[in-house]
Amino acid sequence: MHLAAGILAGAVVCGVPWRCWAAGTPAGTVIQNTASASYTMGGVTSLVTSKTALVTVDELINVSVAALDANPTPTINGVATLGFAVANNGNGSEAFTLSANPALAGNPFVGTVQTVAIDRNNDGMYQPGTDTPIASGGGSVVIPPDGIFHILVIVAAPSGATDGQTSQLQLSAAWATGTGSPGTLFKSKGNSGVDAVIGASGGQGAARAALMVNDANVALTKSATILDPKGGTTAVSGAIVTYTIVGQVSGTGTATGLTISDTFPANTTYIPGSVTLNGVALTDAADSDPGAATTNGISVALGNVKGGGPSQTVTFKVKLN
Amino acid sequence: MTYPKLCALAIVAGAAAMPAAAQAQAASPLVATSSVQLDKQRIVDGKIVHELIDIDKTREKVPGAHLVYTLTYRNAGAQPITHVVVTDPLPAAEMLSDDGFGDFLVSVDGGKTFAALSQLTVDDGKGGRRAAQAGDVTTLSWTIPVIAPGQSVTLSFHSVIR
Repeated sequence: MHLAAGILAGAVVCGVPWRCWAAGTPAGTVIQNTASASYTMGGVTSLVTSKTALVTVDELINVSVAALDANPTPTINGVATLGFAVANNGNGSEAFTLSANPALAGNPFVGTVQTVAIDRNNDGMYQPGTDTPIASGGGSVVIPPDGIFHILVIVAAPSGATDGQTSQLQLSAAWATGTGSPGTLFKSKGNSGVDAVIGASGGQGAARAALMVNDANVALTKSATILDPKGGTTAVSGAIVTYTIVGQVSGTGTATGLTISDTFPANTTYIPGSVTLNGVALTDAADSDPGAATTNGISVALGNVKGGGPSQTVTFKVKLN
Repeated sequence: MTYPKLCALAIVAGAAAMPAAAQAQAASPLVATSSVQLDKQRIVDGKIVHELIDIDKTREKVPGAHLVYTLTYRNAGAQPITHVVVTDPLPAAEMLSDDGFGDFLVSVDGGKTFAALSQLTVDDGKGGRRAAQAGDVTTLSWTIPVIAPGQSVTLSFHSVIR
């Protein structure tokens, strides 16, 4: 029997086709349907085949935008990178125009959009050379059917924004060819010249994400105490000076990679092994503990320190020559 | 099959056109015709209203669209035609519509076995079986016991573009 049926174009190698085509059969696919009938007449069995019915699949235009993070993204050095997912939910490859709008009603401050880019490796960070920048005002991105592109929007908070303030930014995506109410026809504007029909999304989508001003301020306070050889506090040769540096991070932000360091004063000699952090002795070697001492000075690596936490106290001792 | 013989005849006859009578096979007494229409569904006053549109006159053949296929078999001969078995494999890009069931049996294994959908199961992908659904149907089959001379039988089914 000749049971020809199938699709001519856009065939997907997959055991379960309808699971492969979440966005639907590709636009331009020609669906062929052929019925055949066997019958008996006068004791002879024969076969007759119907003319194959052809249905060319038109294109459905659908796009959606979602924010990748429901929580506000804190700024780092006054800049935040907001992540969005733009999905082509239609059945054709299409260009969508993207626009990022930081000036929304209710925002306490209006940020400045610095960069809009396709996050090619989906790591949430913009890397020139890897990620593809697009014009923020009217740049477009071509997304295959069923494709989801992660879009990065790098936005700077203005200098007047205060610690903890949160503003929203809206990323919009619209079919570059046009938008309209569901069912609107764009004749021959689909892939391979098939007709395109606006889907439930209206051919556009938008989502909002928030940035929060993350203002980390670091304050260091240094003091010294002297213990002379006679048990007094006179700065004489042989007296030992204990320096105390107190670091305090304020604000809602995080001071990243914070290191407290100091150089030895002239005419002093460092007392080996005297560095402490919050009362705990540290070794002078640059090793797994955060402390290190060289011929010139000491350093204590505190890492990422959240604002509003307890202060960090570093001490070290030198002998007056 | 007659195809190789026809080839041999053509070679013997050289470039000369074959007589029309030799080209045309005996006309089937069972005349098959088919058509497909778009079933445009709208909700009017809370009820679904169906509008059947000729497939060549609509541009809404998008994923999710409902199609109605109609197959007609007419006995153009002088004798009764018996045991007519119509087989229609569903294209991969279409699925049988839930509301498309009629007087036919279905197959979920590419036409090897046919039964009512409720009798069939498919691999559930987890090492077991689950009840077959409309989307699992691969092939439709109708059996018509007899078509009298001059009589026509019309079959139809509904499908959805995946």
